[in-house]
Amino acid sequence: MKDTRRTRWVLGVLLAVALTIITVDYRGGQHSPLAGLRGLGAAVFGPVERASAAVVRPVGNTVDAITDAPGERRRADRLERENQRLREQLRAGRIDASRYEQLHRLLGSAGIGGYKIVAAQVISAGQGFEETVTIDVGSRSGVRRDMTVMNADGLVGRVTRVGPATATVLLATDVASSVGARLEDSREIGIVQGRGRRGLSAGNDAPLKFQMLNANAPLRPGQRLVTLGSQGERPYVPGVPIGTVERIEKPEGGLTRTAYLRPFVRFSSLDVVAVVVAPPKSDPRDAVLPPKPTPTPTPTPTPSASSTATPFATGVPGRTPSSPLTSPGATPLESATTGGRGDRKPSTGTPTTPDSEG
Amino acid sequence: MLRAPMTNPPEPSTAGRGLTAALVIAVALILQVSVANRLPLPGDVTPDLVLLAVVALALVNGSLTGVVTGFCAGLAADIIPPADHTLGRYALVYCLIGYVCGMAAAELDRQTFVPFMAVAVGALAGTVLYALTGMLLADPRAAWDVVSRMVPLQVLYDVLASPFVVWAVLRVTRRYDRGDKARDRYAVPTARYRAMSGRSGGL
Repeated sequence: MKDTRRTRWVLGVLLAVALTIITVDYRGGQHSPLAGLRGLGAAVFGPVERASAAVVRPVGNTVDAITDAPGERRRADRLERENQRLREQLRAGRIDASRYEQLHRLLGSAGIGGYKIVAAQVISAGQGFEETVTIDVGSRSGVRRDMTVMNADGLVGRVTRVGPATATVLLATDVASSVGARLEDSREIGIVQGRGRRGLSAGNDAPLKFQMLNANAPLRPGQRLVTLGSQGERPYVPGVPIGTVERIEKPEGGLTRTAYLRPFVRFSSLDVVAVVVAPPKSDPRDAVLPPKPTPTPTPTPTPSASSTATPFATGVPGRTPSSPLTSPGATPLESATTGGRGDRKPSTGTPTTPDSEG
Repeated sequence: MLRAPMTNPPEPSTAGRGLTAALVIAVALILQVSVANRLPLPGDVTPDLVLLAVVALALVNGSLTGVVTGFCAGLAADIIPPADHTLGRYALVYCLIGYVCGMAAAELDRQTFVPFMAVAVGALAGTVLYALTGMLLADPRAAWDVVSRMVPLQVLYDVLASPFVVWAVLRVTRRYDRGDKARDRYAVPTARYRAMSGRSGGL
């Protein structure tokens, strides 16, 4: 190769540029001077992603519809085609219906909690080690950094970057995410951290980890968690359901106790989500949680006294939640209503002090 | 003609080649974020189409194109919206991968299994290097247990997806070359394309 020297020169220059970019961006942190580059990316690729999502969805529906048709092997061609078209219509109708239903339930949840939301759709997802998605609303719809993202089932994540028409959401299962959480009835607080859903035998069953700050408080499988609410309701508003305790790590005499959670949200098939653009006027407590199922879905129907392992069983959880089911000021789905929410200081995902509960 | 695009760079096809490469990278990026990353594959790991496209372009065009293409593709992958990591990490990694795979292009005609070795090695090296940069920057996502359970699946998926991506890239490059020299459409794609695509289909 004659031009190895030139190639090496180019390689060296580009590597130096890459290292410089990494250094500058890393040192800059939130106020990186290269934020403009990211803004450029959002401005350029955001609309393209929206368009490609709009293209990809019908194609996927068609493929699904074709693969759906069972037992049509020996039919006449015309009949088959007609059948397919009808199926496709039916399927599109079903998809619309399911989306409508998701939206309806979302509005119900937001109404109970008193959240003011902007509905959005997931249009793309991140790769590698990061678990992020892009949604199709941005600063034009009033979305800002560090807003809570939820869907009808519970907590999805928080907004980390905002473009004009798109926003990036850090999912709660990402390893870099941590959320202040509270047990449903015993009001014990702790931190929910993501464990990552990816890889061989990853935490597919339990992609979240809950560290309870009080090591002596009762903790048992089947207990449910809601968000605690950050200081100033950014990034997390209070009362959003997170998940149920699935198994508890054996206590090792540490300062905290660790449990593994199954989230309410199915993160692998996110579609309709909502950004909470204004927090509730009062903490909805446990009102947003789904009604308690009478046959517990977790495999602990047997008397679970052995699994709690608590030395001080002071307040036995499982009483009826005392919270009211109504919440004032439920005005769901008013888009673009974030006047006066300026740039607060960017608080990273760690929860802040517990407010109003001892 | 395909073999030695770098020994005489100022030939008129260089601009077209660059345009083709840019197009391939852009399509790969969009497909990556809006289709591939949303596939419900087991383990929730998805093939890295951009890395595969960089490897394929480097194999076809040599290491200089590989370096430049890798850098640009990496920078684009760093700023495309759902990305949430320090800028420049993919640029660094893909740049190196492009260089190495471009070097391997010289061996392409002598060894039959070079493309797939290059893809596998590129996938492994790319994932590991990316994780290493994360560790250097104290990224909590690049913790060892996360990396160790992701890398095997990632490499497996990349190798499984590579025949399709490599085939598509070669197809596009061939179409461009055919437009370049339209006199005989079956002679131009060179023995390399035929050998590679035959091998691609055989996997």
